[in-house]
Amino acid sequence: MMRKNRTWPIHLALITISMVMLIPFYWVLKTSVAGENIFAYPPSILPKDPHVFFFVDVWYFIPFVRYFFNSIFVVTIVIALNLVFNAMAGYALTKNFRGKKVVMLLLLSCMMIPFQATIIPAYLVTAKMGLLNSYIGLALPELSHIICILIFKASFDAVPKSLVEAARIDGVPEWKIIFKVMLPLSKSAIATNVILSFIWSWNQLLWPLIIIRDTEMQTIPLGLSYFLSYFEDTTGALYAFCVMALVPTIFVFLLAQRQFIEGLTSGATKE
Amino acid sequence: MATVELKNVIKRYGDLEVVHGVDLAIADKEFVVLVGPSGCGKSTILRMIAGLEDISDGEILIDDTVVNELEPKNRNIAMVFQDYALYPHLTVRQNMSFGLENHKIAKAEIGKRVADASVILGLEDYMDRKPRQLSGGQRQRVAMGRAIVRNPKVFLFDEPLSNLDAKLRGVMRTEIKKLHQRVATTVIFVTHDQVEAMTLADRVVVLKDGHVEQIGTPEEVYHTPASVFVAGFIGSPTMNFITGSVSSSGDSVRLADNFVLTPPEHWHAALAGRREVTVGIRPETFHVADAEDASVLDIKIDVVEPLGSDTMIFFKIDSAEAVARVVPKLGLRSGDTLSVSVDTQAIHFFDPENGQSLRGSEA
Ligand SMILES: Nc1ncnc2c1ncn2[C@@H]1O[C@H](COP(=O)(O)OP(=O)(O)OP(=O)(O)O)[C@@H](O)[C@H]1O
Ligand SMILES: [Mg+2]
Repeated sequence: MMRKNRTWPIHLALITISMVMLIPFYWVLKTSVAGENIFAYPPSILPKDPHVFFFVDVWYFIPFVRYFFNSIFVVTIVIALNLVFNAMAGYALTKNFRGKKVVMLLLLSCMMIPFQATIIPAYLVTAKMGLLNSYIGLALPELSHIICILIFKASFDAVPKSLVEAARIDGVPEWKIIFKVMLPLSKSAIATNVILSFIWSWNQLLWPLIIIRDTEMQTIPLGLSYFLSYFEDTTGALYAFCVMALVPTIFVFLLAQRQFIEGLTSGATKE
Repeated sequence: MATVELKNVIKRYGDLEVVHGVDLAIADKEFVVLVGPSGCGKSTILRMIAGLEDISDGEILIDDTVVNELEPKNRNIAMVFQDYALYPHLTVRQNMSFGLENHKIAKAEIGKRVADASVILGLEDYMDRKPRQLSGGQRQRVAMGRAIVRNPKVFLFDEPLSNLDAKLRGVMRTEIKKLHQRVATTVIFVTHDQVEAMTLADRVVVLKDGHVEQIGTPEEVYHTPASVFVAGFIGSPTMNFITGSVSSSGDSVRLADNFVLTPPEHWHAALAGRREVTVGIRPETFHVADAEDASVLDIKIDVVEPLGSDTMIFFKIDSAEAVARVVPKLGLRSGDTLSVSVDTQAIHFFDPENGQSLRGSEA
């Protein structure tokens, strides 16, 4: 009884806050099925005459499926290579070596440089490698995220040192230590890596905008922006597009949610 | 076949030297225990032998080959860690085979070795469990199994029993001893527990502050300790140390007003010319005085601690605290008075300045 009495205000507050956060999502969903003017006053809470034709429109009038698979393809490359590269880099940072402090400092300071500032060199490099207008080119700047390296480092640091030493004595090669000992013990760091690299890659607009020429190669955010400029009075279809682009994100998050939250907090308490 | 030799091995962390020139030669199939108080450098020495720490100076040889620059995996050693270092996500079976899979050993052979080890250690019923589903003693066995299957030249143990309760520790101690007899391999075992050291070792290496105080068989370190430190560290309850004044010729040492000891002949030369010495008397060296004793001490018992098989009595010699081990059937109580004497053949004399045994100069 006592406990209940003390927790209900917190629950009430949390529920209220989540409701407030959910309102925009609800609005997008509502508009995608009703298509009414979003500036209408007074706003209607429930959709009038809901239907799914906007979704059908999006599916048939633009190559949505193509965009969707482009995005999925790029995001898969990004996630896979993020896991490999970040795990290897994170593992290296658990070791002591000369210049480690400098490397850490470099990584931390690089985190402060916004992507926009590196976009010209990134473009030049990608062009030199002949990767413009390609999937690899799309994935290239996303292949490793410093924050994810640090999350792996924190997670690996928490693995008892003696496990690594036992493996070294038994002649287990380093790559096997990373992928067979460290990674299986770092589920939440993996989940965090998957979610973060998914979201960042999935939502990337600026980079595809710069390096993609063909409609065939466009990803969802790019498709969305073209969609905006081609069709003018299509509020409903636009919102339907948004919902369709959002679904995979929500899906991935739900899948890895528990580990994700653990990963973020455990990363936060480590130095 | 595996001998291990340390030649003037030094370990420094930056400017801090923690191991100061250790020399040690370990014979094939020998069971050597490194023992000493916390922080004396036992683990550091063991880890240098394993190759987990660099050697700052000196040489380590395994089978007469210098291994200073050799990777741990090329030293043909196996190590059991204090926290067992089991892989939490692997089953017992996988834990045991994981290290073997990198040595170009046939699958069938791996399976056979793992099965053999599981029989030796009584783990057959637990092979498909994860470490968290095992008790402390079982985990300990898995850790040993992982070392056994490797068939190493040298086994290294770093305080493998310190996480177990007292009873299980006794059991595992016996198992390790049996295991050593069975696999007949060189073993280097680290512990801070002198009982473990005494019961397991062929030879004990007593360490203090990063240097060797004494190397010897358990009997040697017990009966002829090289210093006050060794004498006090080995044996329980610990040896009594009392300051005595020496007669000019060195043939008698006075501990209290009318309590004078006559040391055996071989101490006389070393004692002569000294004014004060530290006298070491083990608790069991005291006995209840009888008519044959030349010098007798009347004591008043402060505290009695019955242990069942023995009884410890605490008393004072002048102002120095002392403890003696007596048979329980005396039925002593605190406050009782008693006449005790000591077996002079079994007492020790140390230099009060540097703590070294005076026996060294006996020759
Ligand atoms: N990485 C390090 N940097 C600096 N000093 C260290 C380091 N590792 C160990 N030491 C020091 O070296 C000394 C010996 O340490 P070691 O771990 O070998 O002790 P130990 O005898 O195994 O003690 P314990 O019984 O507590 O395990 C200690 O004084 C310790 O403080
Ligand atoms: Mg230690």
